Amino acid sequence: MRPTYLRGAGLASALGPDLPAAVHALRTDAPPRMRRHAGLDWPVHAVWEGEVPASEDAWMAHARETVCAAARESGALDTARSGPLFIASSSRDIGAREQSLAWHGDTHAFSERVAQWLDWRGPVFSVFNACTSAVQAVLSAQRCIGAGECEDALVLGLELPNRYTVCGLAAMQLLSTERAQPCGAGRAGLVVGEAVAALHLGAAPARWRIDGGACVVGGSNPAGLEPQALARALDLALARGGLQARDIGLVKMHAAGSGANDALEASLLAERLGTHVPWVTLKPSLGHTLGAAGAAELALLTACQAADVWPRLHYAPDPALAPQLGKAPAHAAHRLLLLFAGFGGGHAALVATDQEAR
Amino acid sequence: MDGLESPWRVAACSVADPPPLHWREELAGLLGVRPRRLGTWAELGLYGARTCLEAAGLAVLPPQAMVCVASLSGSESATHATAAQCRDGLPLPFGFLQSQSSQLLAALGQWLQWEGQGGCLAHRDPAQAWRLAQREALQAQASGLLLGQVEESGMQLATRWWWLVRD
Repeated sequence: MRPTYLRGAGLASALGPDLPAAVHALRTDAPPRMRRHAGLDWPVHAVWEGEVPASEDAWMAHARETVCAAARESGALDTARSGPLFIASSSRDIGAREQSLAWHGDTHAFSERVAQWLDWRGPVFSVFNACTSAVQAVLSAQRCIGAGECEDALVLGLELPNRYTVCGLAAMQLLSTERAQPCGAGRAGLVVGEAVAALHLGAAPARWRIDGGACVVGGSNPAGLEPQALARALDLALARGGLQARDIGLVKMHAAGSGANDALEASLLAERLGTHVPWVTLKPSLGHTLGAAGAAELALLTACQAADVWPRLHYAPDPALAPQLGKAPAHAAHRLLLLFAGFGGGHAALVATDQEAR
Repeated sequence: MDGLESPWRVAACSVADPPPLHWREELAGLLGVRPRRLGTWAELGLYGARTCLEAAGLAVLPPQAMVCVASLSGSESATHATAAQCRDGLPLPFGFLQSQSSQLLAALGQWLQWEGQGGCLAHRDPAQAWRLAQREALQAQASGLLLGQVEESGMQLATRWWWLVRD
């Protein structure tokens, strides 16, 4: 199998319209853009400025502009656009229709529309594994590239503005009314994040190499984290990269601010990797970007590493869980481990290596 | 099935297009109990997967098996119903969960006693999804691959499943 590289990335998020803006926001400690939908108590990390357009046409126009900009930033539009396009999303275009309830097309129709926006000529896949969707998409792209079936692929993680997701997660009592505090002493739930992330993956060497990963389903808790399944995903990711736990230099936690899930993940990490490896969370900055999380957090983390920027925590980590969370490492990590979990018993791990780090 | 690739072969299949009138009762009989809190789409998928394994003579899914579910409809019906409730300000804890297509994967994990690699995806041509899944399963050295296509479009239901093993 040929290696797969992250050739470029784009990100529109609550930290700004592109990756340089997001890195600058973290460097200067600027707060993310937050919004509350009318009549709802729960904040959202907002990708768009101002109110969300009420009409379908205006919503789609905003979406098109944001998606095209992120894809352009990734560099994938400079290719032949003939490789596979993977679209990972939990909410797709529901924000465009949730007021009119004028449904048309099927779950794949929005992905095909996005492909048209991008003038994409390759095969289009929708991935809907809830919050592990984007990691699944990266792994599928990695396999296609590794097998020599294509030179380039584009993974898009899309979580665009909508009330539906907020109302649904709130009904399950999973949301915080304040900013999320992953592994924090005062954590009180997750905060939804909107984002459009684009990962241009390819066979041509680049700074970041995708080493391995896995998505493992554990069915005993359809809405919560299962340590056994997460451990298996971690083990598979390391094995596929030919790596040991000691090779990991930085862990990006899944932690979203849940009382039980954060504790289970922290306990597993301490057991499997020890407590000397730095842990980082990006959800206080991006929010939980759900189906886009794998793409959004990989894009932001690699950009932060390249710029030597470390996200600051604005709350105290729970000392019993994650005493090392948020402590900046002495130097940029050579190899990153990123963890994700989601509805449907999805657990995912991804390993990426910085070819330039020493 | 379309898109079958070497070295995989179909060891068993179950095609219910449409499913029998009393498929829910049949599923409850197979499981010993009616599954709770599943939407129609996920329950239909579980029915097809379970009958496919039954045809293969398997009671549970082997741990090294992979699962791939392809669908163009996904759980859209539940999404539409729940979005209407959301707009009207009604509480929607179960409807929201049922609108998440990945709930089928959790149901397969629970009822087929399986923990493993799997995912849900869509392509306009299901054979493209099958090919992608077969190649991924081969790379992952999976012992078997359970492929499903589940569609819920209004009153039209279909669930088609194939259990693939390597020669």
